[in-house]
Amino acid sequence: MPLLSFCQWVQSTGFFTALRGSWYVYPIIMSTHLAGIALFGGMILATDLRLLGVAMRRRPVADVVGQLRPLKWVGLLIVATCGILMLGSKAEEYYYNAFFRTKLVILAMIGVHALVFRSSVYRRAAEFDEAGKIPGRAKLAAALSLVLWTCMVIAGRGIGYIEPPLNKIHAQAPWPEPPLTAQCRR
Amino acid sequence: MFLAETNPLNSSELIFPALECIHITGFAVLVGTIGIVDFRLLGLGMRRQSAAEVAKDLAPWTLFGLVLMLFSGPLMFSSDPDMYYLNRSFQIKMILLLLAIIFNYTIHRRVALKGASPPRNALVACVSIALWVGVVFGGIFIAFI
Repeated sequence: MPLLSFCQWVQSTGFFTALRGSWYVYPIIMSTHLAGIALFGGMILATDLRLLGVAMRRRPVADVVGQLRPLKWVGLLIVATCGILMLGSKAEEYYYNAFFRTKLVILAMIGVHALVFRSSVYRRAAEFDEAGKIPGRAKLAAALSLVLWTCMVIAGRGIGYIEPPLNKIHAQAPWPEPPLTAQCRR
Repeated sequence: MFLAETNPLNSSELIFPALECIHITGFAVLVGTIGIVDFRLLGLGMRRQSAAEVAKDLAPWTLFGLVLMLFSGPLMFSSDPDMYYLNRSFQIKMILLLLAIIFNYTIHRRVALKGASPPRNALVACVSIALWVGVVFGGIFIAFI
């Protein structure tokens, strides 16, 4: 399967082999991923809670949505970079991992959410301030965003709980292949 | 309660990952809301509001995040207390956590609410971010050392 061989090739490159081999580089990347989630997730939370009308109620919606947007992009860049580094170092395991596949589906849904609600909600925050009322579709967008991002956290944490299918993985066989002579004798 | 074998938390293999998810969501609430104040102190976001306004708005959510952490964290600790107690990364994490909480509710709060000179604001924000990011690193490294 082409995608599987691509995953095997990615993790066999010198860069990702070195990344996987070091005991401290991988946890540093994972920690940065999670620190990014903390800072970036908090901004998503603040935006969504403002749209739901439960936090920062005295501040204009447009101020909260608009002023956090550039910082959220920086956060996403950090989190995604670390995520891709972790993915590349264990691409073959991730290929088989059901939680990782779920996470990709949720990520795609987040993309769709952005496409659907960007023009109808997030770019119109100033109108909500003028009207003095947050419309239902904005609250729906915020609630869906909270649910989707929480599912991302759950799927992400789940990845580590699935044992890699070692019988299928050969790029990183747990024990070396028996020498050819031994195979012939058998 | 605090013996790994008799702890009811260890009776189902789903409880610990569920606690971990609450823990991760909780620190996004806790550290994320503090982070917004820090970015404001650095002049990097929410500039149309004062740092005091941002800090006051988010304080209840920071507390909510802290409650989630102090609920899920000790329960996770109780699942295998001997391991955590002896884990060097966990020990460092607890020291950083204590410092971060004290810093947040003393110097950080005072500077955010009353304001200080720009370099001082920036210093406090950097110390705050460094302490909380340190806590996250300490948490992850528990599983790697």
